[in-house]
Amino acid sequence: MPDEVIATDVVIATDVVVLRGSRIALDTSSFQIPRGKITAIIGPNGSGKSTILHAIAGLLPIDSGTISVLGGEPEKSQKSVSYVLQYAAVPAGTPLTVAEAVQMGRYSTLGAFRRPTRADREKVAAAMAHLEITDLAKRHLTELSGGQHQRVYVAQGIAQDHALLLLDEPLTGLDLNSAKTIDKIIHDEPTRGCSVVLTTHDLEEAKAADYVILTAGRVVACGTSDEVLTAVNLTNAYGLGALHDRDDTATLFPTEHHHGPTGHDGP
Amino acid sequence: MEWFLEPFTLGFQQRALIGGALAGLMASVVGTWLVLRGMSFFGDAFVHGVVPGIAAAVVLDINPVIGAALAALLMVIAIEVVHRNTTLSEDTSIGLLFVGMLALGVMIISRLDSYAGSLTTILFGDALGITTGDLIAQAILAIIIITATTLFYRPLLALSFNKEKAQIWGLAPNRAHAALLVLIAAAVIGSFQSVGTLLVFGLLVGPPAAAALFSRTVPRMMVTSAVIALFSVWIGLTLSYHLGTAGSATMALTPIVIFFLVLAIKQLKTRTKDRVLIDA
Repeated sequence: MPDEVIATDVVIATDVVVLRGSRIALDTSSFQIPRGKITAIIGPNGSGKSTILHAIAGLLPIDSGTISVLGGEPEKSQKSVSYVLQYAAVPAGTPLTVAEAVQMGRYSTLGAFRRPTRADREKVAAAMAHLEITDLAKRHLTELSGGQHQRVYVAQGIAQDHALLLLDEPLTGLDLNSAKTIDKIIHDEPTRGCSVVLTTHDLEEAKAADYVILTAGRVVACGTSDEVLTAVNLTNAYGLGALHDRDDTATLFPTEHHHGPTGHDGP
Repeated sequence: MEWFLEPFTLGFQQRALIGGALAGLMASVVGTWLVLRGMSFFGDAFVHGVVPGIAAAVVLDINPVIGAALAALLMVIAIEVVHRNTTLSEDTSIGLLFVGMLALGVMIISRLDSYAGSLTTILFGDALGITTGDLIAQAILAIIIITATTLFYRPLLALSFNKEKAQIWGLAPNRAHAALLVLIAAAVIGSFQSVGTLLVFGLLVGPPAAAALFSRTVPRMMVTSAVIALFSVWIGLTLSYHLGTAGSATMALTPIVIFFLVLAIKQLKTRTKDRVLIDA
């Protein structure tokens, strides 16, 4: 982990511990998330990836250490943080059309009572256009495929005013088209000055990110993909005995740096 | 037409219709959120949970509404205490309170001389015994409930969508949940005198569930649910007049029958559509 904390980091976490009930969900960890970059959090199931996102979003309180999000406490920065949950976490049975679901992304600006303005409607339309779901606007959520659902939730996420976009396994289990569309959005966000943090099980997806955090109950390593995704680190995180004989990641990643989605489930 | 209008020529029948309609409006609008949030079991337990309060009020000769409100408050607090201090799931704490409160209510009523009559009135209501004063109180409560539900639309929708998203959007999901509990309590308390505690549940769940089968948005579901509730009250009272059955029970049964009718029509339409596609 780099010793020097960059002033432009959007998240700075120092010695953070997070409990879920009486269980330690994330043990003592320090990391930072660079501004205007794509950060991938990778690790086995239950290794603390989603816990980190929840802590950044101010949805889980930290039990010790400090965490600063966009220069303030996570709870106070919530309105500038957009969080796209795994689509399975959202009930598809709610009678909502695609358009209404995306409009909900404006709630953080509109609050409980303010009427949407033309600018709000334009942002919703733009988000739907980016995710290529404009033609689905009047469709009911129950009439969508898994990939279309995920596009709706990502559109909802980018319709919200935000400086930091969090995505929990945004490409897991998606069809190729949906994965490509969402992957393009992820890589467009930094050009608009936004920072992106995503969780993944996919080493290729992590390697395509600007910055990588490797977790295994705590943050094992963070830095560029070359610094983090080494055989030693991955063996420590995943306990993959077969990797012990390998001396670098070249054999793990035989292809060039890949910026496209792979669309398959991780380990 | 005379068959439909004849039951409402008498004053007490007209008051039953208005009382039932107000109960139906309150219950169906609040019930929409109850169904969307998957809280039907809570609703069932809640309508039984007010029984000891009403029973105690009858024994102590005070206003049953006060007793019902206190019992509702006690029940919500107790559910939260069990849920937060044990690893038991919420439905277990609801189930415990459901049985406990109902048993307590029956124990209290069993001390009355007119045990069976009092219990029947509490559980099944007395639609034909509604007074003008009851109607005015119900109307005021109905206006408050419908206004509050409209005002809290976004927080309640966000809460139904996902609690964590609601929190990030700054729509205070815990406060919205508390507001929903208050609205459910108000709808139950405002309705039990006309349709009884047991049958309020029919109007809380029946019309929204039937509306959910063919509504594409929440506002449409709410409006459709209210229309089904009003229709159920009218048809229920008409049928009870002609068949000589209990008014509140017939009112409560109607939306359930509507639900299964709508479901059957929907299934039939889907199968016909599939057959046309296969034939094509």
